[in-house]
Order: sequence, then C-alpha cells, then structure tokens
Amino acid sequence: MVNEAPSRISHCYVDGGKTYSMVLGIYDSESRTVVPLEGVWDPKIDEVVVGVVKSVKNKVYEVDLNHHERSIIISGKFDRISFRTGDVVEARIKDVENKKTIILQFPRLLSGGTVIEVKPAKVPRIVGKGNTMINQISEATGSRIVVGKNGRIWISGGDVGLVTRAIARIEMEAHVSGLTERIKKMLEEETRR
Amino acid sequence: MASKANKPELIKDGKRLDGRAFDEIRPFKIEASVLKNADGSAMVEWGNNRVLAAVYGPVETQPKHMADPMKAIIKCRYQMAPFSSLSEHSRSGPNRRATEISKVTKEVFENVVMLNEFPGSMINIFVEILQGDGGTRAAGITAASVALASAGIHMKDLVYAISVGKIGEELVLDMDMIEDNYSDSDMPMAVSPKDNSILLLQMDGGYTREELPRAIDMVIEAGKVISAAQREALRSVYKNIAKKYEGE
Repeated sequence: MVNEAPSRISHCYVDGGKTYSMVLGIYDSESRTVVPLEGVWDPKIDEVVVGVVKSVKNKVYEVDLNHHERSIIISGKFDRISFRTGDVVEARIKDVENKKTIILQFPRLLSGGTVIEVKPAKVPRIVGKGNTMINQISEATGSRIVVGKNGRIWISGGDVGLVTRAIARIEMEAHVSGLTERIKKMLEEETRR
Repeated sequence: MASKANKPELIKDGKRLDGRAFDEIRPFKIEASVLKNADGSAMVEWGNNRVLAAVYGPVETQPKHMADPMKAIIKCRYQMAPFSSLSEHSRSGPNRRATEISKVTKEVFENVVMLNEFPGSMINIFVEILQGDGGTRAAGITAASVALASAGIHMKDLVYAISVGKIGEELVLDMDMIEDNYSDSDMPMAVSPKDNSILLLQMDGGYTREELPRAIDMVIEAGKVISAAQREALRSVYKNIAKKYEGE
C-alpha cells in the first residue's frame, strides 16, 4: 500500500509522519488521490441507488441495497407511494444516520426489467465522465438503464444481454485506459450482427 | 507418533531434511481473487501447504445482538479439510485446535482492519486448509490478509505470518510437518511489515533469552520476501487484464 509524506488523502491514514493507503488502489500523483480498485460502497447524501423492497411496516419501507447498513423509506402523509415486497425501486439518499441507517427519498418504482449487480467501486467507470459511457450503451442497445451507486443496475427493454455483457466488460477492465473506445467498438460490432 | 525414541535425524551436514538452509523458507506462491463469489479471496501454496482464504463483507451482523454500534466485528473460521493431512483431521467440524486458530487469526486482523469504518457490520473470514504440512496457521493468516485486501476492506497493513522453530541448538525457519512433530520448539508469528509490530506470537516449547530476538529477526528478514509476494499477487490480478490490451 502506498506511502509518502503526511497529507490528507481520501482512503488513506497518517501514521508516524507518513501517509498509508487503507485500500487496494492506484495512486495518482498528479491529482494526489487514491483510486480504489476494490472497495466497499460508502453511502453519501444525494446519491441514486437501486434497491429491492424487503419489508413494509405501516408507511416505512425497508429496502435491501446490498449493503451492511439498513436503509428505509419513510413515506410522508401526502406522498402517494405504495410499494410491495419485492418491488425494485430507485431512490435518492436523504440522510445517513451515524453510519447505521440510510434514509431514502424520492422513491420511484422500476417495474419490469432486470437487475444486475456489479462491484460498487466500478460504478463511476460504468457511468463514465458526464454519463458518457452509460449513454453510449443505452443509445446502442435501446435499453433504459438506471445505475445505482450501491452497485445495482436496472435494465429494461432493448438488448439486455448486450448491456449485461458490456457492463461486465467495463467492470473487468475498469483500470485499463482506452475503455470507452473498446466498449464503443464492441457495441458497434455486436449491434451490426 | 512423535516421540524421542523414533526421532529422525532432522539436521544433516548443516542442512535440513528437505535440503533447506536454516533460514530458508519453503517455495511460496500466492494468488489473489481466485473465487468469484467471494468479495475477496486468495490461494497460498507454501511448500506442501495449500490454503484457500475467502472474505465476505462487510455484511449485516447475524445474529443481530452481536453487532457493535461503534465498530465492525470480525468472524473467522479456520478449518482443515478432512482430506488435508493424515488421519488426525479426518473428522470434519470444529475441534479444539481449529477453534483456537480461528480465535488467534481473528485477533490478528482486529488489529489491522479499520473496524470503525463499518460500524455495526460483520466481516467474515474463512480459511480452509486443503492440504496441510506444518505452519498452516501462518499460511492461513498470510492468505487471509491478501483476501481482505482484495475485498477492498480498509486495512492498516498487509500482515504476513511465518513460524520459526528450534531443532537441537539450531533455529530453523518455516518448519514442515516432520520437523514440527519432532522439534524442540515452535513459534508462529504474525507481523505487520510497516513497523514490524508483532500481532501474533504463540510458543510451543521454549527459547532462551538470546534465541528469541534472533528468531524474531529471522522472521522479519524472511517476511520481506512474503510481503513482496503478497503485494505482487494483488497487483498481478489487474496487470494481467491490462496486459491483454497493451497492443491496442
């Protein structure tokens, strides 16, 4: 794991005047950041997630986000939402309460479609800079795709198989440069057939 | 079994039974991310030892009453496969020895994993000995350390472990099964290479006051090789994928 002079970098800790990385990642000396190659998702406010409704109690929905923290949707008096157990929902994180409970807001039912799971550390690459990568895939395949920061991806319509293959490839090769070009080529080749 | 009466000649012409020097470890090979379903995994081939380590987590703590709201808890299961060695381990299921090793392994990792990053959660470490030939707890810790890193769990350091033993008057590193059975002393050690702090030290037998620091030095010296191999194992997973596209 990397070490240099003491400094405050995310995913790092300082010990004895030196900085050490806590995770398996690549150190970029230009931007002075550690990019994790593997990792556990750290939920932040306003992130979009995709989850499955686990239980319904009164107006509180517990959602499975594939994460060790509990996540719930509390529906207000005037919200017109009603989900059933097993529904796939897309929501935004409202708050993370002392690293224990994730509170979600603006839930939206995702009916039909397929949910696949990826490593949360690879989600930024799947989305791409300014959504370029994911737009490229959905344009080529005609699918509707919702990417949750928790590593769940919902795909509906179009060529689901191709989307899954493309995403699996991104997940695998996320750390190799020139990825956008390769995925573009792959999508072109496969859609021509 | 092991007794003074049928003790073989463990040291001959300044060499050990398998021809190694006193401070030489057995051939060591490690591979990271070998299991797809696990969050992190590693396979170690250390002499005749074959050790598989898998890490799942952090996950929601089960049973719930064990959850600590301030930090994560670690659960560790060390297990020897029924076919791993001679008759002794033919019965599966936890026994006194496996429970002990699970406990010490867990305590090693409680010192290096950043537990307060994942409060209320649980990290599961599974160490499975497929083939055992002495020094399996050391091999298990070395493998589990890489498995944790490949799971992306926040850690202070990559721990390694080696055992050092005593045959007659000589200190020998990384004993195999025969040496272990007839040796005068055996001491497995887990070390954090960043500051060489010792996280595990068990002793079976005895050392003199002069021998102990020498034994620790031997471990730290050999640990540099193991440590480098661990890092390389993690690196090569990603390098191999990158290599495929170098030409393009």
